[in-house]
Amino acid sequence: MPWYLHLAVRQLFPTGRRFPFFTLISTLGVALGVALLVIVMGVMGGFAYEIRHMIVDTEGEIQIVAHGLIGDAPAVMKRVLAVPGVAAATPYARDAVMIKFGDKSAFPALRGLDLASVESVTRLSQYLLVGSLDDLDDDSVILSDQLAASVGANVGDTIEVYSPLIINKLAADAVFLPRQVRVVGILHIGHNQLDSSTVYGTLRLTQDLYGLGSTVHGIDVRVTPGSNEDDVVARLNAVLPEGIRAFSWEDSFSDFLWVLNLERSMIFFLLLFIVIVAAFSVTSSLLISVVRKTREIGLLGALGGRPIQVAACFCAQGLFIGVLGTAVGLALGFSALAVRNHVVLWVARVTQREEVLRRFYQFSELPAHTSGATIALIVVLTIVISTLAGLLPAWRAARLRPVDALRNE
Amino acid sequence: MSDAVLSAQAVRKSYASGDATLEVLRGVDLEVQAGESVSIRGESGSGKSTLMNLLAGLDAPDSGTIAWGGSPDTGARRRAAYLGMIFQSFYLVPELDAYENVLLARRILGRVDADARLRARELVSAVGLSGRAHHLPAQLSGGERQRIAIARALMNRPGLVLADEPTGNLDERTGNAVVELLLGLCASAGTALVLVTHNAAHAAKARRSLLMTAGVLGPPA
Ligand SMILES: Nc1ncnc2c1ncn2[C@@H]1O[C@H](COP(=O)(O)OP(=O)(O)OP(=O)(O)O)[C@@H](O)[C@H]1O
Ligand SMILES: [Mg+2]
Repeated sequence: MPWYLHLAVRQLFPTGRRFPFFTLISTLGVALGVALLVIVMGVMGGFAYEIRHMIVDTEGEIQIVAHGLIGDAPAVMKRVLAVPGVAAATPYARDAVMIKFGDKSAFPALRGLDLASVESVTRLSQYLLVGSLDDLDDDSVILSDQLAASVGANVGDTIEVYSPLIINKLAADAVFLPRQVRVVGILHIGHNQLDSSTVYGTLRLTQDLYGLGSTVHGIDVRVTPGSNEDDVVARLNAVLPEGIRAFSWEDSFSDFLWVLNLERSMIFFLLLFIVIVAAFSVTSSLLISVVRKTREIGLLGALGGRPIQVAACFCAQGLFIGVLGTAVGLALGFSALAVRNHVVLWVARVTQREEVLRRFYQFSELPAHTSGATIALIVVLTIVISTLAGLLPAWRAARLRPVDALRNE
Repeated sequence: MSDAVLSAQAVRKSYASGDATLEVLRGVDLEVQAGESVSIRGESGSGKSTLMNLLAGLDAPDSGTIAWGGSPDTGARRRAAYLGMIFQSFYLVPELDAYENVLLARRILGRVDADARLRARELVSAVGLSGRAHHLPAQLSGGERQRIAIARALMNRPGLVLADEPTGNLDERTGNAVVELLLGLCASAGTALVLVTHNAAHAAKARRSLLMTAGVLGPPA
């Protein structure tokens, strides 16, 4: 190790002494900034990630919708499946219904699934608490768990489903009967809105209830692993007929994502100031150290040390504090993220607001997702800022002429 | 050019103080042969330290030449290998223990190998501090610190040691011991020594004694 790095390490960790105050405080300052960046960016990133995850798991990566209905679904499906990058596609129908069980009723959305292809696109079966998609037929449904709880229905019960078609039938003075269906499964996705108001049935059932014939509302698409969603969307739109468009998740939620990103950038920038303030304190401590060590710096020159090496000795101290603070900060940040749900639950329990938390928060757990790029940015910025913090003291030290420094009493 | 370890010819140095200029050195000539010991005495403010800094290449003379072993290169790189310096204040690095302070002279020169470590340990023993090798400067007495500074000056086997009042901060008994040690170690290593001192007895121990008066170096009165 070059002498100036050796000396930098020794000034931060002197022989035979405990962790000195300067090193401890400076490292903690930087670590705190890094930890907060990791935690806040993780939780904010988790929000978008979780929503994306949920949509991809229930609807695939790409959604194809028409202005009205897609008439010739098999022909469109054929075109879609021929597009490179498309792994699977499944048509669906979707609309509002009223369900009734005993004297309780609710107005969820009914999503009609094409049983032959739905499992190649979605991962719904992973979210089933009870039952299986195989049990689903044209006379049965799967309820989301909060919906099931609110009407008091359970697997094996028979519920009544009413569609808006009733109104047409009533207008025509026709006799109408609600559709009787069995509950064969309970589903929990983890998103409040979906869990409180979704019914899954077959495509046939949905088409019957709405009088759709063989038309569908849309097609969900899963792309092959590794292919670029935007490219696949572009290729799909090139072959889809007039009036039918493909959207990626990013397209459908672009406004939401833009706001989310703006928010993330602003908060990243603000939290970065903690690191910058910590760096200022490193600068001032190192400046004091340069003044205090004037004569030793002169001696280093007398022993043959070059000014640039003396400068490197002080810059390296900033760098080491940056690296150490980053490491400690990452450890702190990820530990905090690991126990975040315990903390949130504990706060909710102590304040007796568990129910409120569940009702107001979109997810049943506090999501967190940290992208490698964000971590890399945090690490690089922190280390660069800390090294810059050593620059001013280093320049002061390098400017000292040994003769003057040694004369300094 | 002579092949003296150190030669200074017609060295002049003045400092600007306000409007006036203070002529400190007015043509100093000095030759030090290999292994020779030279003492310099002179009144306070006569320019001894100024001369030592010029001889060490830490400052440039206004005119005149300074050469080490016949070469005018007195840059930092060569200084590390060519000469050792000892000061009135010991200037040990407070974060390094005694042994590491000695080794620092070699570190600045380049890589530290097993030989260098062995030499540093031997030097710490040679100055009588083998038991204190891993003590920090703050844990050593003034005399002990100056011994470590002597060991550091000799670390790179220099041809020349420049010592500027090495006993200035020490009591008489300790000072005597330090000067004896310095002269003894330089003599046994064949290292030339320039010793600046106010102490006539110390000065007399050198092979040659010089006196600085009115910015010129001459024989003692
Ligand atoms: N950087 C400087 N700027 C202005 N004047 C200086 C400077 N360095 C030295 N001097 C002046 O030069 C003169 C000689 O100083 P120097 O330190 O060489 O004396 P000295 O012989 O070593 O004295 P002492 O025995 O007290 O150490 C003094 O008058 C001092 O004030
Ligand atoms: Mg002096």
